[in-house]
Amino acid sequence: MGNLLLDTVWFVPIYTIIGSVFSFLWSPGVIRRTGPRPAGYINIFWTFLAFAHSLLVLTSIWQEPARQLSVTWLHAAGLNITIDLEISSLTVGVMALITGLNILAQVYAIGYMEMDWGWARFYGLLGLFESGMCGLALCNSLFFSYVILEILTLGTYLLVGIWFNQSLVVTGARDAFLTKRVGDLILLMGVVALLPLAGTWNYTELAAWAETAKIDPGVATLLSLALIAGPLGKCAQFPLHLWLDEAMEGPVPASIVRNSIVVGMGAWVLIKLQPVLALSPLASTVIILVGAVTAVGASAIAIAQIDIKRSLSYSVSAYMGLVFIAVGTDQVQTALVLMFTYAIAMALLVMTIGGIVWNNITQDLTKYGGLWSRRPITGISYLVGAASLIAFPPLGGFWALLQMADKLLQTQPWLLGVLLLVNGLTTFGVTREFSLIFGGKPKQMTVRSPEVLWPMTLPMTLLMGFALHVPLLLLSWQVLPLVEVNILVATALVASTAIGGGLGGYIYLNEKWEKPVRLGSQSLQDFFAYDLYTAKLYRLTIVFVVNLVSQIIYWIDRYLVDGAVNLVGLATVFSGQTLKYNVTGKTQFYAFTLLVSVAAFVIFLIWPLLPGIWG
Amino acid sequence: MLSVLLLAPVIGAGIVGFWPKGKDEQVRGVALTIATAIFLWSIWLLTQFDITSTKLQFSQYLPWAEPIGLSYNIGVDGLSLPLVVLNSILTWIAIYSTKKDIARPRFYYALIFLVNAGVAGSFIAQNLLLFFLFYELELIPLYFLIAIWGGEKRAYAAMKFLLYTALSGILILAGFLGIAWLGNSGTVAWLNHYSAFDYQAIMTKGLSLEEKILLLTVLLVGFGIKIPLVPLHTWLPDAYVEASPPIAILLGGILAKLGAYGLIRFGMQLFPDTWALMAPGLAVIGAFSVVYGALSAIAQKDIKRMVAYSSIGHMGYILVAAASGTPLSLLGAVAQMVSHGLILALLFHLVGIVEIKVGTRELDVLNGLMNPIRGLPLTSALLILGGMASAGIPGLVGFAAEFIVFQGSFSVFPIPTLLCILASGLTAVYFVILLNRTCFGKLDNKLAYYPKVQWDERIPAFVLAVIIFVLGVQPNWLLRWSDTTTTAMVANISLPNAKQIATK
Repeated sequence: MGNLLLDTVWFVPIYTIIGSVFSFLWSPGVIRRTGPRPAGYINIFWTFLAFAHSLLVLTSIWQEPARQLSVTWLHAAGLNITIDLEISSLTVGVMALITGLNILAQVYAIGYMEMDWGWARFYGLLGLFESGMCGLALCNSLFFSYVILEILTLGTYLLVGIWFNQSLVVTGARDAFLTKRVGDLILLMGVVALLPLAGTWNYTELAAWAETAKIDPGVATLLSLALIAGPLGKCAQFPLHLWLDEAMEGPVPASIVRNSIVVGMGAWVLIKLQPVLALSPLASTVIILVGAVTAVGASAIAIAQIDIKRSLSYSVSAYMGLVFIAVGTDQVQTALVLMFTYAIAMALLVMTIGGIVWNNITQDLTKYGGLWSRRPITGISYLVGAASLIAFPPLGGFWALLQMADKLLQTQPWLLGVLLLVNGLTTFGVTREFSLIFGGKPKQMTVRSPEVLWPMTLPMTLLMGFALHVPLLLLSWQVLPLVEVNILVATALVASTAIGGGLGGYIYLNEKWEKPVRLGSQSLQDFFAYDLYTAKLYRLTIVFVVNLVSQIIYWIDRYLVDGAVNLVGLATVFSGQTLKYNVTGKTQFYAFTLLVSVAAFVIFLIWPLLPGIWG
Repeated sequence: MLSVLLLAPVIGAGIVGFWPKGKDEQVRGVALTIATAIFLWSIWLLTQFDITSTKLQFSQYLPWAEPIGLSYNIGVDGLSLPLVVLNSILTWIAIYSTKKDIARPRFYYALIFLVNAGVAGSFIAQNLLLFFLFYELELIPLYFLIAIWGGEKRAYAAMKFLLYTALSGILILAGFLGIAWLGNSGTVAWLNHYSAFDYQAIMTKGLSLEEKILLLTVLLVGFGIKIPLVPLHTWLPDAYVEASPPIAILLGGILAKLGAYGLIRFGMQLFPDTWALMAPGLAVIGAFSVVYGALSAIAQKDIKRMVAYSSIGHMGYILVAAASGTPLSLLGAVAQMVSHGLILALLFHLVGIVEIKVGTRELDVLNGLMNPIRGLPLTSALLILGGMASAGIPGLVGFAAEFIVFQGSFSVFPIPTLLCILASGLTAVYFVILLNRTCFGKLDNKLAYYPKVQWDERIPAFVLAVIIFVLGVQPNWLLRWSDTTTTAMVANISLPNAKQIATK
């Protein structure tokens, strides 16, 4: 039994894709007869199978060496593309995490999407996403990692666009698709360029190749930068971060999954690519810098947000920045542990926020207050989530951050400063949110606010319980840095938490402190509130340029290259029709342009050969 | 066996054209039956095709007009077979997606069959003059199809199309005559040499470099108009937009492939060494077409015109791949021809449905078609699939073909290839514009309640969507037909810079 399950563990992504296909059947049509709900139940069933399967396999594969599976997908003209899978306790464990969080999110969605008719699309896409993530966890080939990342990009577009008749949703979906696609395509350039050099896309073989490879440093740099771009877009790092907060316009259950694990998949690929990136010394510097800038910038931006969901979404970028730093400083295990503790904490936080938004209507933080007495379960869950996210001993986040801080002190001490700053700022941010929502007196929007339906509360409390047990899990996996704890570093971390939290509580729980809180001048505050004006910057630069160039090209196309219009002139000669383009006297001009364009084409073709012919 | 692909549509045209008066409603059914038969026949040919052989298969040779060198010499290999099958699929789709109450159905369906015969003939012809005959033959029915059943400015578009493609034909004829004339002048007088135009007998080795460059350039311009390559493309947007959707499917899906096919068959294969010399220029033109098409598409306000411009871009990939001349890139070129034909057909069909149901193609007017009750949800879903296939999202056939093009061309022409990848990002931009404006957004209450999309309008879209998806998940089924042929074809081509970069 155990062996059978182990041999078929690659079926886990397939379960969820089956669930997805079944869900899609409930698009208009079937819905009329049964209502939309069966779509969700079916999907939850298949997700549960996937979860159970990966969990069972996890117990039997524990501590065993990794197995490799390989199936040929394409074999043509010397190109051989294989589907490579790696089955190890790590990859199966990641799948268990993915499917586990997905079940919670999908059950949560039963409550959250109660009144919605779009279940078929929503659950279908969730299933697709889940399958993609499981596939990515198992996948041991750069090519298929790219393929899955790209499909997930499309999935994000559609999933964010579920409520497509709101304009913010439409622009959010668009930005998510395009920014991620930019990252993906640069990654594709890297994928295409890597094959002639390395001759393989298999991560294991790539790592072996990278150890001995001697390639031109310039090529190595360009290559690694291209390879970094994909994870950069997925993890919402600067400068491709703006999609994530807009994506929060989508349904919350999707955000639970996205903010906790989907973004992490980018970092997963980055970790897999790490040996190749080591070819270029610049690559790790870039990873660290991008991570550090994002971590500090995003955690500062988070504090300036008044939208309850967006405020949380910037913390996502910030933590992914920390993961980038960990990968850049060669701490793969720490990065994985951090991603794990982070995923649990963030999923829990998004669940609590979703429940609050669900029956308080508004997303404006300044309209909240006094929910502690009305929503104690949610409040406690929020506190547990927040405490597991930051360095709050003895919960999960503390251990991951401690391990990282310890290493950073030995290698690049300035990054320890970054880490402490980010931890402090994030603590301040989550405390601010907690105080604004739960502290103070009830306001108009929060007067009537009971705990929500059980499908939403149950997954939230379950996850809260799990979050509390994360340290025990870490202990049993023997990844807790208990022996070599550096007391100094631990103290510094806890101190940064205490300062951030204390300050946040003091400012936002304090009735006497004037609200809304001001930071310096209005322009400084706006600078952070509007995401460092990134969206505006893009609108004024890249979007503007592409738009302008395309208009110019189209103008040239219509009025210059369309010497075809000249043919209209000729056409009138033949057919005697009068056509509106044929203004008297221009016929010669059109004929001339046709001649010129053909001549230019010919000259261009022959140009390089001229010296050879007559020289 | 191949001759059936010529005879069946010609006979079919006769049957449909002379169907008894007063029974208009039967004509469509008859046409569909004939098209199905042709399609099944081409599938049967697929099953009989030996994919391990590099030789021409199903060949047939009949002397015809010997004094001028014309012979009935036909056959297929891995380059033409997929296109022959594509031709019969798209003809079926075009007939199926024609609206039922079309005016003058006999003439219409007969013309479509003639186009089918002309295209099939061009793909299987192994005699240069025979190729030219078929190449010209499909022009006239297409001219009528655009000029009679087209949109508002159909006369203009049809005339433009006719003149441009006629010029293309003249250039190609000139090129062919030059090949036979110059190629044989040293030995026998070409008029007495009856096989002077038979593909297998063509000798270009004896030509001087200047002559070869001249001839290849003439052919390039000729086929370049048909593909089309920028700046010879201006007939395309008008012709595609003014033609009714089924005709646009034929035009973009299969007619344009004639140009690319001709370029590979008569340009690359007849002049391998000269091709290698001119390849860098061709790659630049290809990449330029790709970027140019994508950028022009972004500026469009009419969805049909947007799709038309996208076609210019996607045909550019084929030129880059052909210029690179590696086994993989050439295989990619064939795959891209088929994949582009399928995807473009799907897009034009869906745009046609949107136009009929909503009554407009304007991006600024369209909105919220995803709406499950009052909009066109299924059409929108398929439009998303088509757009994403065109933008090269993995799992769909567009990605498989483009990726092989990229991977195959990169080692020879890295910069043009990277430009192509960049342009596929621009493709995503205009498809997101298209989808966001048409499918997403709020349905306008004043305009809503569109007529329901009927099942027989959906079927062509479903068929195409399934093919696009299946070939995307399992591209081997698309590539296996051509692998042997394309690998053998590039054996004669040695690009000077191919090795340097690959071994770096």
